[in-house]
Amino acid sequence: MIEIRDLWKSFGDNHVLKGIDLTIPKGETFVVLGGSGSGKTVLMKHVIGLLKPDRGAVRVNGLEISALDGKALTEARQMFGMVFQGAALFDSMTVFENVAFPLKEKRRRQRISADEVRQRVTEKLRVVDLGEEVLERWPSELSGGMRKRVALARALVSDPQVVLYDEPTTGLDPITTDYVDGMILNAKQALGITSMVISHDIASAFKVADRLGVLYDGHLVAEGTPAEVRQSQDPFVQKFLSLWFEKQ
Amino acid sequence: MILFAVEMVAWAVRPPFRLELVLTQMAFIGVGSAFIVGVTGTFAGMVFALQMNFALKQFAAEAFSGGAVAFSLARELAPVFTALMVTARAGSAIATELGTMRVTEQIDAMESMAVNPIHYLVVPRVIASLVMFPVLTMLFNALGYAGGFVMGVYVARIPIGPYLAHTQEFMDVDDILHGLLKAVVFGFIVAIITTWRGYAATGGARGVGEGTTRGVVASSIFVLLADYAITFASVGT
Repeated sequence: MIEIRDLWKSFGDNHVLKGIDLTIPKGETFVVLGGSGSGKTVLMKHVIGLLKPDRGAVRVNGLEISALDGKALTEARQMFGMVFQGAALFDSMTVFENVAFPLKEKRRRQRISADEVRQRVTEKLRVVDLGEEVLERWPSELSGGMRKRVALARALVSDPQVVLYDEPTTGLDPITTDYVDGMILNAKQALGITSMVISHDIASAFKVADRLGVLYDGHLVAEGTPAEVRQSQDPFVQKFLSLWFEKQ
Repeated sequence: MILFAVEMVAWAVRPPFRLELVLTQMAFIGVGSAFIVGVTGTFAGMVFALQMNFALKQFAAEAFSGGAVAFSLARELAPVFTALMVTARAGSAIATELGTMRVTEQIDAMESMAVNPIHYLVVPRVIASLVMFPVLTMLFNALGYAGGFVMGVYVARIPIGPYLAHTQEFMDVDDILHGLLKAVVFGFIVAIITTWRGYAATGGARGVGEGTTRGVVASSIFVLLADYAITFASVGT
């Protein structure tokens, strides 16, 4: 479960988050919608402790992430997987080394055998429809869609309890977008993972969300099931959604 | 930067100890820089021997050239030139690599996977620098003295006996140790400044470029300042 209470964050005079309150129950997929620069990624980075709030608290599965530092925070992050907007694959490592990275670090602590690491890496790559032929390739040799899929495999390989997706479908073609949406749904159904998805892709958001929220001017101006948000009377939400729905 | 250095030291003593990463960085910083350090050392020794011979000949004291070359190399030229050459070759690459990782969110990704980036990226580079700067300094010393020997004995025709005798007379182990102490300090300075500049890079390719430039300039200046401070503390006025 993710609990965000009265979260405030500013960068200089730029007040990005102004008192966000949000609860995401265990096993739910929550999508945060919003325009570019609305603070969606800033909100997500607070959940995993990459940013510290000016005020407020973030709790994940009972642990107050916003109050942790150093080794305690590093250990708390073992419950997370995160897919970054630009995939953020390590460009000095092959695909295998990238996907195996979280496991190899875990292996130091939990004695996972090298054979098991290899088996789990190939298994997760197969889940995202990538075969063993990509194992020794470098990230620079992959297409944008393949990089996203490798990033997804890397996020899921250590069986996290919470997965954070930062713009998982941005820049992908419709077929790959549909595929990634399916992956997010599968991860939730098969593994019972709690997911937070940051997106401005309305079609994807309505497809994968159990509930969603719309972030505008530092506030969550609408929150609920896709049907409830669709009926929101907030002027920004109406404009944001109507532009897209009118095109359909 | 001071907080960054303190955090690095705190993480350096915590397990797991990533020996394979330290060895990789030792190969990059040390083995990879051996050629340029060797070439610089050889030519520095050759040129310094010729200059010493030219100056001391006026007092009929050219046989002291060998001692002067060895003494200057050990205490001053080898550690400083080595630090500046490694800053240019490896320090700039370290700042660029970490800067690129920062602006493409690779460092954030590492943190999200429960791996502290200072522990994984910075500590191995600092340890490798602490080990390899003295090794490279000794390489510079050896090749610099060899280059000076060839110039002094075979080109300037200084008799080999007095050349070697005055080297032994001028030099002792403390001179070598003085240079190696400087090399360790310079290694720490260069590694901390360049990793920090890369680690704190912001704003895309331009930010990475700026971070690299600042890292190289600041490292060079702090090496020269530290050189003065250590020399002053050691020999006084």
